[in-house]
Amino acid sequence: MQISNVKIFNKLISLKVSFVKTGLFLSLAAYWGVIIVGTFITFN
Amino acid sequence: MDVFLPIAQVFVNPIEILLLSAIVGVLSGLFGVGGGFLMTPFLIFLGIPPAYAVANEANNILATSVSGSTTHYLKNTLDYKMGLMIVVGGVIGTSLGIFTFSYFKDIGKIDTVISLAYMYILAIIGSLMLVESLGEIDKAKRNVLDKKKLHVHYWIHGLPLRMRFPKSKLYESIFTPIIIGLVVGFIAAIMGIGGAFILVPAMIYIIKMPTKLVPGTSLFVTIFVSVIVTFLHSFNYGSIDLLLVFLLVIGSIIGVQIGQKLGEKIDSSGLRALMAVLILAVGIAIAYDSFFADHNTNGTVTSTIPDLNFFSQFILDFSNEMPFFYGLFSIMFAIFLGVAAAFIRRFISKFRKQMLMKS
Repeated sequence: MQISNVKIFNKLISLKVSFVKTGLFLSLAAYWGVIIVGTFITFN
Repeated sequence: MDVFLPIAQVFVNPIEILLLSAIVGVLSGLFGVGGGFLMTPFLIFLGIPPAYAVANEANNILATSVSGSTTHYLKNTLDYKMGLMIVVGGVIGTSLGIFTFSYFKDIGKIDTVISLAYMYILAIIGSLMLVESLGEIDKAKRNVLDKKKLHVHYWIHGLPLRMRFPKSKLYESIFTPIIIGLVVGFIAAIMGIGGAFILVPAMIYIIKMPTKLVPGTSLFVTIFVSVIVTFLHSFNYGSIDLLLVFLLVIGSIIGVQIGQKLGEKIDSSGLRALMAVLILAVGIAIAYDSFFADHNTNGTVTSTIPDLNFFSQFILDFSNEMPFFYGLFSIMFAIFLGVAAAFIRRFISKFRKQMLMKS
């Protein structure tokens, strides 16, 4: 039986991918949040 | 070993400037992006006031685009007619940009505006580049092929006054390149960048030019836009520092050559994500510098001018007493350096071919 056929490994890989994607989305959201809030503070 | 820049009135380390400029040049050559949107923030971090960083980087871009454009001219990969149409829009956009620059300079907000513009541009480019490169890596892993439409029509394609562009084999409204040039010129005047990151995708996806003509035509347009930006900055504000321009040009021309050679040897698509992270990091550094850093502690700006040597005194007097001719000289200086670099590159490449044929 090949490792790629084991269900648990596939699940772990897809979990890792969605974890990375969520992390990326959150960091980009935080980044944009900082610059938008900073802009408002600067101009007020 | 610090050197005093007579026009910008700050002390800088020339080796730092040369190295940074060469690193940005390598990245430009490797990823095919213009280096302006990275180099100007780096100059600001080194203590050069933003208004001076923008003007001098525009002059540096002039030299590098002249160098690249000469190479494309020799290879005959340039659409002059299309380029000139974009330049028409570029001239209007640049004038509007300089007008906006003057307005913010008069109310004392220009440094904040430049920092904010960079922050947003870097955030947009970095986010798009990161999402696109990760998507490409994901697709490559899953072996998915994209089905793209052959022709996508936007409102811009329905504009009147159509004209034939034989070299690109296009029948397009003259307003399409003019509008694109206008946007590029406006951004170039405010931020001191060439605008290739807007121009290249617009030429490929909106104008639909053949890809082999895009880099040369983009560089051709950049020459005119950066000439106007350099001249207006020099004439209006006397902000071009030839000493700084010389350092920037030497570093970036060497760096671009190394980057292009590296690009031929390694596959840069996987590295695009890293480049995106670098762009985002520069953006966040600007955000930190604009919102949180204490600007009173910056020790590089000097209030008293030290004893200048003959060369620095000459630059200062020339800029103050004859701003029109100083502007023209700055442009000619950059064009000379750019053309010289293109011919040196051609000579080296021919020499290398002859050596390979002999051995």
